[in-house]
Amino acid sequence: MQRRTALKNVATTLAGLAALPAWANGWNQQQLSKTHFLTPAEDTLLAEVVETIIPATDTPGAKELGVHRFVQKMLDDCYDQKAQESFKAGLAALDGFSQQIFKKPFAEGTAPQRIYILEGTELSDDPAKKAFFGMVKNLTIQGYMNSEYVMTNLTHYEMIPGRFHGCVPVEKA
Amino acid sequence: MPNFNIDSQKARTYDAIVIGSGMSGGWAAKEFTEKGLKTLVLERGRDVKHNVDYPTTNKMPWEFEHRERMPREVVEANPIQSKCYNFKESAAHFFIRDQDQPYVQEKPFDWIRGYQVGGKSMLWARQTQRWSKYDFEGPARDGFAVEWPIGYDDIAPWYSYVEKFAGITGNKDGLDALPDGEFLAPHEMTCVEKYFKEKVAGTYKDRHIIIGRAAHLTDPQQIHYDQGRAKCQHRVMCERGCPFGGFFSANASTIPWAMKTGNMTLRPHSVVHSIIYDEKKQKATGVRVIDANTKEMTEFYARVIFVNAAAINSNLILLNSTSSRFPNGLGNDSGTLGRYFAFHNYRARISGEYEGFLDTTTDGRRPNGSYIPRFRNLYKQETSGPASRFLRGYAAGFSAHRRSGSDRDSLGASLKESLLHPELGNWSVGSHMMGETIPKESNYLALDPSLKDPYGLPQLKINVAYDDNDEKMVKDYLEQMTEMFTMAGFTNLRTSDSKQAPGLDIHEMGGVRMGKDPKTSMLNKWHQLHEVPNVFVTDGASMTSTSTQNPSLTYMAFTARAANHAVEEMKKKNL
Ligand SMILES: Cc1cc2nc3c(=O)[nH]c(=O)nc-3n(C[C@H](O)[C@H](O)[C@H](O)COP(=O)(O)OP(=O)(O)OC[C@H]3O[C@@H](n4cnc5c(N)ncnc54)[C@H](O)[C@@H]3O)c2cc1C
Ligand code: SF4
Repeated sequence: MQRRTALKNVATTLAGLAALPAWANGWNQQQLSKTHFLTPAEDTLLAEVVETIIPATDTPGAKELGVHRFVQKMLDDCYDQKAQESFKAGLAALDGFSQQIFKKPFAEGTAPQRIYILEGTELSDDPAKKAFFGMVKNLTIQGYMNSEYVMTNLTHYEMIPGRFHGCVPVEKA
Repeated sequence: MPNFNIDSQKARTYDAIVIGSGMSGGWAAKEFTEKGLKTLVLERGRDVKHNVDYPTTNKMPWEFEHRERMPREVVEANPIQSKCYNFKESAAHFFIRDQDQPYVQEKPFDWIRGYQVGGKSMLWARQTQRWSKYDFEGPARDGFAVEWPIGYDDIAPWYSYVEKFAGITGNKDGLDALPDGEFLAPHEMTCVEKYFKEKVAGTYKDRHIIIGRAAHLTDPQQIHYDQGRAKCQHRVMCERGCPFGGFFSANASTIPWAMKTGNMTLRPHSVVHSIIYDEKKQKATGVRVIDANTKEMTEFYARVIFVNAAAINSNLILLNSTSSRFPNGLGNDSGTLGRYFAFHNYRARISGEYEGFLDTTTDGRRPNGSYIPRFRNLYKQETSGPASRFLRGYAAGFSAHRRSGSDRDSLGASLKESLLHPELGNWSVGSHMMGETIPKESNYLALDPSLKDPYGLPQLKINVAYDDNDEKMVKDYLEQMTEMFTMAGFTNLRTSDSKQAPGLDIHEMGGVRMGKDPKTSMLNKWHQLHEVPNVFVTDGASMTSTSTQNPSLTYMAFTARAANHAVEEMKKKNL
């Protein structure tokens, strides 16, 4: 086979993005139970939390990119019950904190007020609340940085770099 | 009716049978079919066709629902496979489910498996180094296991043969410890890797840092285009299957090549149960196969049988092939079958930072790293004293990359700003050990007398452990690397010993070892069972000792050499 034909074959495959066949599907979530561990109200609150961590500026924030859905999916499918319970506890505490300090629910606070409340959970003596802060922050960052929007428009992910240079000046990289 | 039976038997008769279609079996298939032999390749898993059956290969990172992390239920149901770093959303479908083949861990052993056409060649890290004469001479010099019946000179031409076809990138470094091969253009070392190379060369006359040798087409030749493969595009997502055929796998290379000859019958879903031994003819006549879907047993026949089921399963098949002539497993007059099992010691790591070269970085991705060939006890035994004397040595991986990261302390707009504008940090440097282990009689595989797997085959008992030699080697590796890293000015050094169980190195070897003497070994210098010469074992099971190199290149060279020998012997009517 000539080089050109080989490359043509490759191009054909690249064009056909196949759906997962049954044998590969067996490994993903479709077999898993579909119960979401957050109620719709908690989901709405979580959307405000991720937005507080990564807000809209001149580019979309975490809420618009659906990062709260990703956070919930990870907790649903990948975390154990103990982690899920800590998460719920941490989330539930936010409104209470906010009422106590600012006399309004978390979602109605200004950005600095919400940040203040979130940082409060980080400093909490309650290990569940502390754990909540770590989980929600890390998952939010992961979901945002690995979202299609960010990888396509902001960080310009390269699927096929086609090169490796071991030692280049920093400006050129 | 009798005629019908004879016809059916004829339809199930081939010149050669190959058990397993992975890294080594693919080579047997290629060699036999090219030479015109009608060849039956039996594979217990499903078919995986190059490109057609790579369902995740073009997926973007955000298309993986859990961003590559495996769901909890899957991890809990597969505690063994999930220890492998490639067991992730983009590649988990190339591993077995633990429940497909249970086994008894008399001592902890992580048996990582990929059952499909291509076997583990779909999943490997593609590191390919030749053995040197010092490796083959090891057991004789240091008095362990038994002497190898072959040496470097026997195998060197076959290394060349498989390297040219598979496509191996590397640099001609001219080192005794690691002979050069037929290399395609080398990958580049990073600034700090080059710096470390020079520093080490200036301090130790016998220690070298080189660019890794790997099965990637950096510079494809006509023979690779003929296979339908093209230049590696540096995606570094090889475990998904490569649309370019940029790395060597049986799926992209040997299997389609054998298929094209028209001489291969590839039979997936065919679990080989045992090899049939005919007492009158005093040879093996075929194999018994369980259909993975219907569980029905069928026999297939051939003049020559190649066992390439990967080391542990090759042992299992021979142990399960009993007859009144061989009550303890096929060709097992020596009683060594399943014994002298060994692996590689991958426990220790070291990492650190380097504050130099801050005006430089890397660009693109490299499916390879740098490599430190074995230097310990190479020419002679040099470690001594009760606390530090150990036999053999270790090779090591080494790599250095510029770190890039963001300050994640804040929340809100400033966090977002810093995430989107990561800053370059120091270079991070790291190394992991790859230690030789000593095959011992007490490290063994055996059949459990009562437990069966879902196909009715006996379960294996695996009884393999580290020993004092391994512990001392871990210690020495960490000491020597700490010394070398410190000498090079690397800081913030962190050492670790994962204490991972044997098996996770995925370099299982032995149990059907080669040797000169039929009383103490299973295979002769052509990989034939001493007592059943038309059965060949050419995968990791045949290894007399383990050396420090990644083993697959050697299995491939062994297989090509043995297959060509078998064809010659068949022509001479000796088989
Ligand atoms: C993550 C990972 C990284 C690795 N990195 C490297 C590396 O960098 N360098 C290196 O040299 N090696 C590496 N390896 C190891 C390498 O993959 C193996 O050494 C190699 O695949 C062994 O070849 P094989 O033919 O013996 O077995 P395999 O390639 O595993 O093929 C064996 C085949 O036999 C089939 N089979 C088993 N039992 C039966 C039966 N009873 N009947 C029918 N068929 C059967 C299996 O389904 C399988 O397809 C790595 C492995 C993994 C998983
Ligand atoms: S690094 Fe090369 S071989 Fe691996 S997936 Fe990419 S292009 Fe293919």
